[in-house]
Parts: sequence; structure tokens; C-alpha cells
Amino acid sequence: MMLWRQFAMEWRLYGRDRVAMFWTFAFPVILLLGFGTIFRDGGSPKLSVVRVQAQAPSLRDAALDQALVDLQLKVQALPKAEAEARWARGETAAQLETTGEGYRLRLNSYLMAQAGATAGLVNQAWLMAQARLNGAPEPGRIPVTVESPGRKHSANYASFLLPGLLGLNLVSMGLFSVGMVNVSYREKGKFRRLAVTPLPKWVFLLGQVLHRLTVTVIQAAILLLVGRLAFGIENQGSFLNLLVIMTLGTGCFMAFGFALSGFAETSEGYAAISNLVFFPLMLLSGVYFTLDAAPAWLQHTVALMPLAPFLRALRAVFNDGGTLAGHGAGLAIVAAWGLAAFALAVRRFRWA
Amino acid sequence: MTASLSSQGSNPGMMVVPGVIMSTPALRIRGLRKTFPKVLAVDGVDLEVARGEVFGLLGPNGAGKTTTLEIIEGLTSADSGDIEILGLTWADHGREIRSRIGVQLQSTSLFNKITPREALDLYGSYYPRRRGTDELLDLVQLQEKADAYHITLSGGQQQRLALAMALVNDPELVFLDEPTTGLDPQARRSLWDVVRRMKGEGRTVVLTTHYMDEAEALCDRLAIMDHGKVIATGTPASLIADLAIPSVVELAFAGEAPDAVAFSARLGQGVERRGDLWEIPTPDPKALLPLLLEAAEATAVPFQQVHIRRATLEDVFLHRTGRSLRE
Repeated sequence: MMLWRQFAMEWRLYGRDRVAMFWTFAFPVILLLGFGTIFRDGGSPKLSVVRVQAQAPSLRDAALDQALVDLQLKVQALPKAEAEARWARGETAAQLETTGEGYRLRLNSYLMAQAGATAGLVNQAWLMAQARLNGAPEPGRIPVTVESPGRKHSANYASFLLPGLLGLNLVSMGLFSVGMVNVSYREKGKFRRLAVTPLPKWVFLLGQVLHRLTVTVIQAAILLLVGRLAFGIENQGSFLNLLVIMTLGTGCFMAFGFALSGFAETSEGYAAISNLVFFPLMLLSGVYFTLDAAPAWLQHTVALMPLAPFLRALRAVFNDGGTLAGHGAGLAIVAAWGLAAFALAVRRFRWA
Repeated sequence: MTASLSSQGSNPGMMVVPGVIMSTPALRIRGLRKTFPKVLAVDGVDLEVARGEVFGLLGPNGAGKTTTLEIIEGLTSADSGDIEILGLTWADHGREIRSRIGVQLQSTSLFNKITPREALDLYGSYYPRRRGTDELLDLVQLQEKADAYHITLSGGQQQRLALAMALVNDPELVFLDEPTTGLDPQARRSLWDVVRRMKGEGRTVVLTTHYMDEAEALCDRLAIMDHGKVIATGTPASLIADLAIPSVVELAFAGEAPDAVAFSARLGQGVERRGDLWEIPTPDPKALLPLLLEAAEATAVPFQQVHIRRATLEDVFLHRTGRSLRE
């Protein structure tokens, strides 16, 4: 009864906090809709190359230009002076020009992602052009398809992002809704006011934890629903497995919040500590992109942090319809972090 | 369970329960000591507060009043000393003590968007015995603001709500820590009324303050604290009477008061300079006045006003410590 009152009051007051509601429920949806739409087709934006117009185009030039178009590169033909001006303004990623005996391809060091891919295509076009000029058979190409690694196919970026956002929500709930809130309660003396009443402290804390749990469940439900309606993303695995993983993650990151709150005296101090934890977790754990291109030592380190193995298991179930069997080690890492944080929280948590 | 004021709640100290209870004081403290890193906050405090009494801890900021109160309330642990609250000890009856005392902390922090009605309902739900929310809102005159968010209340209204929250369980013993600090004079008066009503209802009230007028106006008995020690205990009247200088003559000047050495020598009595005033404590102002005027004439002291007032607790503190309460 006491617990119910405490829980109901948490919800009532939470409902009046528009800012918290926005960040909790609306912001993840906006992120999903925004990024999901921008990268809708999964493919990279069309690559383009600036082609400096030759004084007197040769046969060779014509063959190369044709091959570029055949490879679906966007070719912008510009007079020399105009092309140089554009290059100087930094708008050009790759610029191709005919020199006396061959060609020169300049790549913009600031736009390497685009320029690098373009360079590959240009060279491929050159091979094609040479073959055509020589009357030799055109070099064959290996067909490419884009798929997810699991057994079912779900190719768009939104379906990669959605589990990442679910995980990120758990982390920010633990660090901010639990950790930050408790530091400010302690700092402002709300705990002290409670301490002079006969209310058992566990009732207060459990009421808080139950409230955060229901928030998490609603948050996840909203994201799943929006993902389904806007992008047709469906849970490919079993909901039971999903629930197991989410519960484990919630416990782990909530314990994190309680543990960290024991290390800060003030809200400002806590903000510094929590950001120290939050940003590396967010940026390095594969919320928004995979870390396959990162150095091996970094990948190994991140795999031992709690969020990365959590997301790996979540995606395996959610996107690929996998089971938990293959992710025992990863989930054990999450559980170990949760237990360690809980032990630390029990030792460090303070009321005053 | 809502206990009405007029029935058994009216005088908890006199409840018809085993006779022992009637004779136990509301609060008894022996040899209380507390050291914080580098600061001796409470240095051997003994206190005894009778049932139904309004008892004040008076002293300047940093005297150890709040620490003493927080130890009594169970928020801070003492290094040594014994505390009995309503005949109970924290070690054996923590929960029962919490159910029977009411506490207003120096600053009461609530959620910004909770209303007084909700706060009283919520905190009331923590207690086995409670007073009705409307009755409490009436008591502290917050009916109009009952459903306004806490953050929209004025300082005085927030303080009155904190007071109502301290009464939510119909407590026998109420602790108020600096209840009127930071309030305007009108808000202070209205808070004093609430405290007087608590006494009228038979509750024991222990409050801290650094306002001597508040201590004089509200308290049946006082302990004056300084540097973690109780330096005097008694009724306001007896503390002042003990000074043996019931009156103070004040000389006011247009600007800063001049140096008093020559005047003091001529008068043959000590003169205390405080800002733009001279103060001369005296048991007999009628006899002092002619001498004073003569000395002023002789040493050409350019005073503007003479004022005779009776001694206050401020003078008691000054006399005992050599410092002013306000410093």
C-alpha cells in the first residue's frame, strides 16, 4: 500500500515534468525517425567526380567518360578554371583531369569517405575503358548484395538503429533518471526530510525503481511501435528472449546509476562523472554505427564494457531472430557489470 | 486514521497512560558531543525539556544549534552522549520516535511541482496516526494555495507548508530549525502564531533561532549556545534578570559614533561602542541620566538622541560572550 502510493506519486509528479517526458519518450522517437529517414535506402549517397574538360577530347577520353557514366558515377564536366575554383572552395571530393600522356585524380583529404569510394570507381572505369578501346572482353564484376548477418533480411539503417536506441535509453535512464536524481535528492535534503519520517527507506527506493522500470517498458514499446509503423521493422526473434535481455540490461544500468551516485557530492560533480561514463559508452559501443573499422585493441576493450555485448545480443535476437545461446559470454559480461555495480552501490550509497 | 484535535490529540503529554510517562520529560540530553573533521560542533551539551514547553536554542550561526537538533532528530550520529526522546532512545525505538515527533528542517526541499495538498497527503501516509490535510491547511492558512505547485509559493508560504508537514502526524514533540530565517516581518509573525497554537494544543516545541526577539516572544525557556556549548539556560525573563543590569542607555549619533575613552573616564563607567551607538548598561537609569548629560557637556559629545530601553537577550549574549548575536 505504502509502496503503491510512493509509486503512484512518482508517476504523478513525473507526468508534470514536460522536459523529462520529452527526453524520455519523444527524443528517441525523433532520433529514430530522423536518422531512419535520412539513411532510408541503406546505400551510400551517389558519388560524384568533377571532370575537367579536355581541350580536345580524344577517343580515350570519350571511352573513359562513358565508362564513368556506366558505373553510375555522377560526372560534373567543368572548364579548367571553374573546376579549379570549385576545388579551391573545398566543395570537390574528387577531380579527374587529362594530362599529357594520362590522367590525374585528385582526392580531397577532408572528404575521404566519399573520395576514396569514388577513386575505386574511377579506376574501375579506366579498366573498362581500356578494355573497350582494345576490343578486349570487358572485365567482369562480382555482384554485390546488402544483407544483415542473421537468417532474416532487414536491411535498412533504422532497424540497426532501433536496438541501439533501446540500449541507449537504458543507459541514460540508469545514469540520469536514477543516479542524477538521487544525487540531487541527497544534495537538496529530500532524503533527510524522508529520513525523519517512519517510512522505510527501501519503500522509497523500490517505488522509484518500479517507476523507472515502467518508464523503460513504455519507452521501448513506443520505439517498437514507431519502428514498425514508420519502417516496417519487426522483432525477428522471440519476445521472451527480448524481455530477458532488456531486463538484464535494465538491472545492470540502474545499478550503475546507484553506484555512481555514491561517488559525487554535488549534482555538478555527478554530471562530470556520468558524462565520463556515458559518452564513451554511447560513442564506442555501437549504438549508431559498428566499430568494425576501429583498431583491434579498442574493439576488444569495448567488448568488455557492458553496453556493446548487450547491444550485440539484442540485435542478434531483434534483427536476426537469433537465440540467446550464442551470446552467453556477452550476457555474462553484462551481468557481471550489473553485480559489481550493485555491490558498489550497496557500499557507497548514502542518504545524507 | 485521523485524530481530531479536540479529543485525545489535545494534550499528548497528559495522555491517560501509565503514570511514568507523565513524569518523563519530552527531551533529556546528557553530555552530547560531536566533532566534524577539524570542527568541534557540539561540546558537551546537557538539556532537559518539559512536556508542553516551547524551548529555544538561541545562538549565532555556527554555534552548534542545528547539529544538536539533527543529532536529536536522528539525522546525525553523536560521538558520545545520551538522548531520551519522550522517554525513548534511538537505539531501541527509532521507528516509534519517528512516528511521534514532527520535524521541520532548516530548508525543506520538495519536488517543484507537488502541491501542498499532495505533500501533506503523501507525508501523512507515512504515519500510523495523522491529521486531516484540510485541517492542517487551515492551521497554516494555506487553503488558497492548496493546489498550487510548490515552486509558485512564496518563501513564507513554503515555510508554513514545512510547518504543516511537521504536524502531519499529530506529533507530541515538534522540532523547528530556524523556522523564520529569511522571512519578512509579516511572515514571521504569522509563523509565530502557528507556533503559539502548537503550544496551545499541548505539544512540546523545540526550536532554534538566532533572533532574540523570536526567542523572547515564543519561548518558555531558552538555552543560549555558543561554540558548541550551552552557556546559559532559563526563562527569557530570568536570563535577563540575572544580568543585574535591567536597563541600557543608548546614545545615538548622526554618523559613526566617536571614540568614547574621554567620555567614559569622565562618566566613571564603561561605554560600549556599537556602530553608530554607544551603549551604557545600568541598574538605575534615573541616576545615570544627569551624570551622563553632564559628562557629554564637558567632553563636547555631539549625540543626537538618548534612548533608555530595558535589557534584552541580545545583552545577555553580549555580556556572556563579549560578542553580538548578529555577528
